[in-house]
Amino acid sequence: MLGRAVPAVLVMIALGCSARAGDIEGNVIIQHKLTKRKVTASADPYQRGTAVVLGSDQEKDPLSFERTHVVIYLEGDLGTNKIEAELNQQDRRFSPDLVVVPVGSTVSFPNLDPIFHNVFSLSKAKSFDLGNYPKDETRTVTFPKPGIVFVDCHLHPNMSAVIVVTPNRWTTKADASGRFVLPDVRPGSYTIVAWHKSAGFFRKTVRVTDDHAANVDFTIPLNEEGVVQQARR
Amino acid sequence: MRMRFATRAFLWSFVPFALLLAGSFWGIQQRVQTTVRTGLRSSLREAQMSMARLRQETELQNNRFLRIVAENPPLKAGLQLLLLNPKSGSARLTLEDQLREIAENLHFDFMLVSNSDHAPLAGIVRIDNQLVAIDIQHMKPPEQGFFVLGENTYQVASFPIDSNQENIGILSIGEHFDLSEFSTPEVLAQSGKVLRSTVPNASAAELESALRYCGDQNECETQVAGETYLTLAADTITLGNGYALRSLQSVDSVSRPVQRVVREVFLIASFGALLAAAALSLFSSRWIVQPIAGVVSSLRQSEQTGTLPSFETDRATIHEIRELTDSFTRAAAAVQESRQNLQQAYLEFIGSLAGALDARDDYTAGHSRRVSEYSCVIAEILNVSESDLEVIRVGGLLHDIGKIGVMDSVLRKATKLTPEEMALVQQHPSIGRRILEGVKGFQTYLAIVELHHENWDGTGYPLGLAGLKVPLSARITHVADAYDAMTSARPYRSALSHESAMREIKRCAGTQFDPEVVRALVEADEMGRLPRSRDAEPGRLVSVPRRSEAS
Repeated sequence: MLGRAVPAVLVMIALGCSARAGDIEGNVIIQHKLTKRKVTASADPYQRGTAVVLGSDQEKDPLSFERTHVVIYLEGDLGTNKIEAELNQQDRRFSPDLVVVPVGSTVSFPNLDPIFHNVFSLSKAKSFDLGNYPKDETRTVTFPKPGIVFVDCHLHPNMSAVIVVTPNRWTTKADASGRFVLPDVRPGSYTIVAWHKSAGFFRKTVRVTDDHAANVDFTIPLNEEGVVQQARR
Repeated sequence: MRMRFATRAFLWSFVPFALLLAGSFWGIQQRVQTTVRTGLRSSLREAQMSMARLRQETELQNNRFLRIVAENPPLKAGLQLLLLNPKSGSARLTLEDQLREIAENLHFDFMLVSNSDHAPLAGIVRIDNQLVAIDIQHMKPPEQGFFVLGENTYQVASFPIDSNQENIGILSIGEHFDLSEFSTPEVLAQSGKVLRSTVPNASAAELESALRYCGDQNECETQVAGETYLTLAADTITLGNGYALRSLQSVDSVSRPVQRVVREVFLIASFGALLAAAALSLFSSRWIVQPIAGVVSSLRQSEQTGTLPSFETDRATIHEIRELTDSFTRAAAAVQESRQNLQQAYLEFIGSLAGALDARDDYTAGHSRRVSEYSCVIAEILNVSESDLEVIRVGGLLHDIGKIGVMDSVLRKATKLTPEEMALVQQHPSIGRRILEGVKGFQTYLAIVELHHENWDGTGYPLGLAGLKVPLSARITHVADAYDAMTSARPYRSALSHESAMREIKRCAGTQFDPEVVRALVEADEMGRLPRSRDAEPGRLVSVPRRSEAS
């Protein structure tokens, strides 16, 4: 126990964070690039007829991209707060490409491109087809069940986004360094889940006390292409 | 026609050369043309075969692409979107955008989507490596065949887009069709109208007329812009309806360098032949003409001098020339002989004349012959030339010819002559001169005849000339005449002895006679060359003494 606490305290001191009792905090450690990203050029350059460079990865640090795409939440019906989120279609991309909402929330899908888009999903948590709609129109979808919802466009197979519908309001994303905090968790024992689109689910049990903050680290291993497919459906 | 020998030789040697050269030049040119045509034909066919193979492969690949692309669900969705919103600009933009992405990924240069009624809906085309939308309101790109846009040409193929067993549209895909990829100049035409051409320096109208000329012929030869082209229809490449692709190859441009080489070679050869013919004819004619010229010049010389020609026959190595000069020489010898005969006849005539003159008087018989003899002896001692000796010999024979004009009564008078008679006798040199003056060829003897009685001191007759004014021949004859007169008997006196005569002559040397001539006479006497006895009988005709006898 003491042997496990010492490095955490050291890390807290080193980072200078003010972790409070009731917080769950930790690190997501990713050592390999997980996502094969295909970046398509925006519609505007096409309009001007410039040459298009496809498949370039614009992220400077691919691992930090991976860390920011890890969703952390607690399992169990702990109470929700419905929110309204936006998932734009801009420059032939979904922006952002990852949205995390508590169950019962509503997401709107405004089209900011001069071309049509046709947003749809075939996921179990929520399947929908918003149909073709042009610039400056929007459609909204409410997500009554928790789960992972993959969003695509009929017209543009390169476009994809993920909406993670979590079972309660304790949900967060890791920052670029992999650090996350779930604040104000009542003392007790919980199952904490980390999810990544390509790597899948990682579950750990965490015990929250009044004394000090709980610390959970996730080490996300290298995944083969097959694992990615498994995780999606 | 009169021409020089050299010209004639040149013509005869050069004309066959020229004919031979011209004939072979023509033949080789024909051969070059045929070879070039055959080579071009096979190269055209080969180029076309390889091109066709290449294009068939790419066409096959395009067809596969096309089939896959036509089944592309987003494209179908885009098309359906546009079909539902035909007036929507952003729907067209969406489809164009999709086409761009496909074209970018699969490297197509042209894409067009039409509806099932073949009306174009949206399209993009690659210009300067940029994919731009086609303004389908203003142009109607074909679904099959060739699409010509500005500088670019695209070869287009199409495939239907089906959805649920129902045709909803047509997808056309094109790639740059670059005529310069062909190894030969090409003409692309649609229904006889030229779309594109890589034939240098040929206008569309010229090419169209050439295509009309060729018509349906697979292979034909035609004129374009003044050049001969061999053309081959590209029937092995599948084209749309009404399209025709023809490979052309300029016969002239290929054969021109070869022909230039041939022409150069023949120019050099003919120039060489010209030079060779000129040199040969010059040399040969000089060989032949030079001996002839020699003969001609010696003939001319003889014409000028009046002497008969003589030829250096050994110089003429040519048989004919030798014959010519030989016959000339023979003719000349015949003339010479007849002339000598004539001369002989003259001399014999003179001799007989002199003999007849001498025969008029017994006392003077043989006088002329002897004077001639003595004169010759003196002249030889004085070293006169051969020709002068001959003159002196004949002159001696003739010296008293003038006595023909003196009456016999005076000449044969036995008593002393009266002064009148003496004057008559003293006229005989002048008479002799008058007689011989008119006879051609006797002028050389006039001096002896006229002046053989002139004295050294100028006391003689008829002119009274003194010393060296009297020619040597006359002075010699004077001494010889005096000696013979003194040693001969006269009707009015007996002959003096040789010694007395010599004494008398020596006494008169320097007054009556030239001392030199007298000295020569004395020398001749001392050498015993003066005949002491009279060998000629009086009244006998004297024969002309031979030179050998005289010496």
